[in-house]
Amino acid sequence: MDIAFRSQKSAAVEVRDLHVRLGGNPVLRGVNLRIEAGQMVALIGPNGSGKTTLLRCLLGLQKPDSGSVRLLQEGPPGPGILKRMGYVPQRLQLDPSFMLTVREFLAIRRPLTAGWFWRPSRQIDALLHEAVGEMDVTRLLDRPVAGLSGGQLQRVLICSSLLNEPELLLLDEPTAGVDTPGEADFYELIAEVHRRRRLTVVLVSHDLSMVYRHASRVFALNGVICCEGAPEEVMNAESLRQAYGIHFTPYQHQHPHSHGSHGH
Amino acid sequence: MDIEPFMLRAVLTALFLGPLCGFIGVFVTARRMSFFSDTVAHAALAGVALGFWLGLPDPTVPMILFSLLIAGLILWLKERTALLNDTIMALLLSGSVALGMVILSLLKGYRGELDRYLFGDILSVGWGDAALALVVLITVGSVLFWKLNALALLTAHSDLAHVSGIPVRWLNYGFVALLTVTVALSIRLLGIILVTSLVVIPPAAARNLARSLRQQILLSLFLGLIGAGGGVVLSYPLNLPSGPCITLTLVGLFIVSLLGGRLQRAHQYAP
Repeated sequence: MDIAFRSQKSAAVEVRDLHVRLGGNPVLRGVNLRIEAGQMVALIGPNGSGKTTLLRCLLGLQKPDSGSVRLLQEGPPGPGILKRMGYVPQRLQLDPSFMLTVREFLAIRRPLTAGWFWRPSRQIDALLHEAVGEMDVTRLLDRPVAGLSGGQLQRVLICSSLLNEPELLLLDEPTAGVDTPGEADFYELIAEVHRRRRLTVVLVSHDLSMVYRHASRVFALNGVICCEGAPEEVMNAESLRQAYGIHFTPYQHQHPHSHGSHGH
Repeated sequence: MDIEPFMLRAVLTALFLGPLCGFIGVFVTARRMSFFSDTVAHAALAGVALGFWLGLPDPTVPMILFSLLIAGLILWLKERTALLNDTIMALLLSGSVALGMVILSLLKGYRGELDRYLFGDILSVGWGDAALALVVLITVGSVLFWKLNALALLTAHSDLAHVSGIPVRWLNYGFVALLTVTVALSIRLLGIILVTSLVVIPPAAARNLARSLRQQILLSLFLGLIGAGGGVVLSYPLNLPSGPCITLTLVGLFIVSLLGGRLQRAHQYAP
């Protein structure tokens, strides 16, 4: 109830008439979007629909040609606002030659838990456990980040993004490197984090079945927002046909697999 | 035991620069910048030649400046053109070596100097070089240590670093500048051709034994110290240039670390 109440009050993300051209091609052609605080929202669309570009605009990594982005009722993404946000990338660029452990990776995100030159200590582990105990990464603390499986890495990435206690969490194709049973666990976990911490979650995904199960609101993107609404509204064949450009009936798909290949 | 003054200068310089190269090398290898380090080292040849052409008795300053110029050019071309990193670096590496060779050929009496800069020569290390190495160790080492969290995050994911409020672009420029100065200064000991070995081999050997980044950095510092110091000490009685001696000492340490790592793992998984 509290979440619903908050959602009526404020917008966590407001995007107005956003245009972005990349290499001369129009990728975003006037995107309008309003995500209310406390919601768990999915941004779906086929490959090349501009999902990642929109996400990069929200993170301040891509400058729009025109239009505006307003986050957390404050303004465009800048250092002050980014501190109140969490970002979970698809994967890291980590080379196996870099022996960064999970404990160290968490420490560099929050120097408070770093200790002298990342010296491991029980006190720091206790602090970490207090901050992100719900994520169950304690047994991974001594493992090198470059050697983690896709699912373990996602867990660690979410964990690190939660250390700042963000009000807005952005996730980019979070299950891209995760196996199928891991996907379901992963979305359960995100839903649990969302429920417990009452933050706004924006999931960029092409995984429609998971989105259907967990998102409170869905935006379908294809250069512009073609449709938005509750999952059951958006997931009707007509609106998806607009986004993905083909006939598609999500209700018949009970098995959790990716539908990105439909989008050509 | 009497130590010749030139030997003392060379050993001290090696003990200052070895750990620094080992430290910075951990990030160079992880960020796949070994070829970058090689390129700025080769660019120093043109700087050395320009220094002689200008009639300077010591070409250290033009050497560092020219390496910095080439490092800046690499970044500029990377941002402004669609050329691949490898292509840009190969272009600038060969271009600056050619420029250096042409200038040295036009000058009379400097051909002998070429070997010193290509393979390193402890006799060419002056007190000024040793003092400069100490200053660079303190400044570059402090900056690296101060920016350790940011550098580690930048290495892991540059977008994540940006979102965490790290000025990614400036950190990148700063890192490149520190690396370039460190490499250019180490040329006295190792020579242009081999200087990258002191940046690349210690972190690679440390990786074989370390179980965390903290351990990798500490081990890499230590291996850089042993490799550079040991190589210089060996080069005198063997009457060999210091560059190859340091590099072969480092290769020896790498082999030991490889065997050590295997033993460590075998012990770990033993029933």
